Amino acid sequence: MGVQTLTSPVQEYYAPPDSMLIRVEDLWKTYDMGAIQVNALSGVSFDIPRGEYVAIMGPSGSGKSTLMNLIGCLDTPTSGRYWLNGRLVSELTDDELAYIRNKEIGFVFQTFNLLSRASALHNVELPLIYNGTPAAERVERAQEALRRVDLADRMNHKPNELSGGQRQRVAVARALVNNPSLLLADEPTGNLDTATGVEIMNLFDRLQAAGNTIVLVTHEHDIAARARRIISVRDGKVARDEQVR
Amino acid sequence: MSAIANAQPLLSRSKSRDGHASFTVSAREAFWIALEALRVHKLRSFLTLLGVVIATTTLIVVMSVINGMNLYIADHIANLGANVFILDQFNWANTSDEEWIKEQRRNKLIRMEDYEFLKDNLQGYKAIGAEAWRGRNSAPVIRYRDHALYEVQITGETPSMMGIGQQQVGSGRYFTESEYEHSALVCFIGNDLVNEFFPNSDPLDKVISIGGQPFRIIGVAQTLGKTLGQSQDDFVQIPLTIFQKLYASRPGIDVNVQANNSDQMLELEDETRALMRARHHIPYKDTDDFGINASATIMGLWQQLTGSIFAITIAVVAVFMVVGGIVIMNIMLASVTERTHEIGIRKSLGARRRDILLQFVIESGVMAGVGGLLGIALAVIVAKLVDMVFTASVPASAVLVGLSLSTIVGLFFGIYPATKAARLDPIEALRTEA
Ligand SMILES: Nc1ncnc2c1ncn2[C@@H]1O[C@H](COP(=O)(O)OP(=O)(O)OP(=O)(O)O)[C@@H](O)[C@H]1O
Ligand SMILES: [Mg+2]
Repeated sequence: MGVQTLTSPVQEYYAPPDSMLIRVEDLWKTYDMGAIQVNALSGVSFDIPRGEYVAIMGPSGSGKSTLMNLIGCLDTPTSGRYWLNGRLVSELTDDELAYIRNKEIGFVFQTFNLLSRASALHNVELPLIYNGTPAAERVERAQEALRRVDLADRMNHKPNELSGGQRQRVAVARALVNNPSLLLADEPTGNLDTATGVEIMNLFDRLQAAGNTIVLVTHEHDIAARARRIISVRDGKVARDEQVR
Repeated sequence: MSAIANAQPLLSRSKSRDGHASFTVSAREAFWIALEALRVHKLRSFLTLLGVVIATTTLIVVMSVINGMNLYIADHIANLGANVFILDQFNWANTSDEEWIKEQRRNKLIRMEDYEFLKDNLQGYKAIGAEAWRGRNSAPVIRYRDHALYEVQITGETPSMMGIGQQQVGSGRYFTESEYEHSALVCFIGNDLVNEFFPNSDPLDKVISIGGQPFRIIGVAQTLGKTLGQSQDDFVQIPLTIFQKLYASRPGIDVNVQANNSDQMLELEDETRALMRARHHIPYKDTDDFGINASATIMGLWQQLTGSIFAITIAVVAVFMVVGGIVIMNIMLASVTERTHEIGIRKSLGARRRDILLQFVIESGVMAGVGGLLGIALAVIVAKLVDMVFTASVPASAVLVGLSLSTIVGLFFGIYPATKAARLDPIEALRTEA
């Protein structure tokens, strides 16, 4: 026992209470650019309880997207710990992260990131394909998700046959189809005109009311105003964290 | 209050519950993507697949021609007649040039005396006969009225030869013993001569001129057809006795021996060998100075020949396949680069390394498999054409081999590009322009 403690100290990380969907603890992300090291995140910590609606704000280059990608398990931190839904996910392998992305997270991107050659329906089916859902159930659930975003009549359209707002709604349907515990959106209205942006934000409001936990990045104050909490990021650090409603 | 986080078994669920199902589901997705890619890039795919197409076509065409020739050989050439072996000056299935040169030097012609000797001393045969050949290019002209035929196969035969080979009397009859003994000017002809000389009349009892000598036609053989494009029906047979008088007083001959059944074949061959060695005074250690040839001998020779044709084909096909595989690998690498963004999207939605790996390996395999199918289709057409002028018959096994070989090549050469795709970092991949 004594020897083991000397050579490999047992690390005991304490998980957050069950009510916390997310806990990040001293997250760092450093990009090694050869000559210089860029700290995109320099020690970020916060908790997000279930059902919360959080907006992340901050100037360009402050590290918002970097943070979202870490929370979304698309990327791994240089150091620090991240719990999602009671699991320490900051030290998982590629394939384990893929599993978390599939089951726990729905990610909505500024640029939609839809497969251009596939129909709306097939795009929404993708997350279900990668967890082995049988075809019949898959189609049914994808159709249901598209109905929830009012796209029942556009299921067989390809992305280039849809408007920007419709594309983003397909992306939201895709993010929701696996009933994830967390919905992430990095500037979801960034590529949309104001009216269409409002349409998408109304959809988010409905999802939040239905019990989804939402974290979104935005530059616009009236969009952030819909959230219940605003985390401001500056130079890779949390500058302010306030409950607004 | 707080639990130890590591205590929770995080991924056992993913492996036990989703493992197998997700594999088949994503394999099906991969198949769909592969066909879609082929549909979208028809020309590019076709050009990519040329190597595999050519390799498959070559393989199948060669297999078909060899198969066709095998059938022919078995049907027409190797089948000398049921349980027949032939004593000749030479061994027909010489394996090496040295042996051939050696036989050329020391083997003696088989003579009529040898035939008479075997006829009297060989025990238990069903039939024995002799024939002498006149080379086609030194064959005398055959005429009937103002028609002439050149290079017709003329042989001298003993009456016993009827029934030993494949040949059957179509109309009329074969020579009698009496005609043989009296060197009668009679002949037994193949159907080609009938077509040439007597298209509308009965050839029997007509007199044709063979090198100026009048021969009466006593019989016509049943049509044999063609072997490897060569007609088997342009022959004239005359009694061996008159053959000797007209063309060669001491001709080299073949002795045909027919056994009662296949079990007796080896026994009779051995006995013939022993008798001939005694006649030729061959010392115990020396090899035969004559050849004993049977269907098996010819089949053996033929199989040796096809073996080497096949070895060359394998080498050529292997080269084409490797070249084709490398081209496929190249296009797959380009495809991975082109679709980096798509890979990022799929990964962001939960595709694991193995899902992406599978997608590209299957795409590569399907592509090559389609190339294989094109190759098979092309080969079937080529084989049909070859069959018109020569012989070819597509064996079912060739189709199977062609399809599986090309698919395997595709799968193999897809591994490297697919591995590259699978290793892509999701964020880096998403960041590349679509
Ligand atoms: N792959 C990378 N390599 C090097 N530096 C990077 C990389 N990604 C991000 N950065 C740097 O990290 C910092 C934070 O970038 P990030 O994309 O998180 O900013 P952001 O807050 O999302 O900005 P914006 O509002 O413009 O989207 C920036 O200085 C950026 O240059
Ligand atoms: Mg950003």
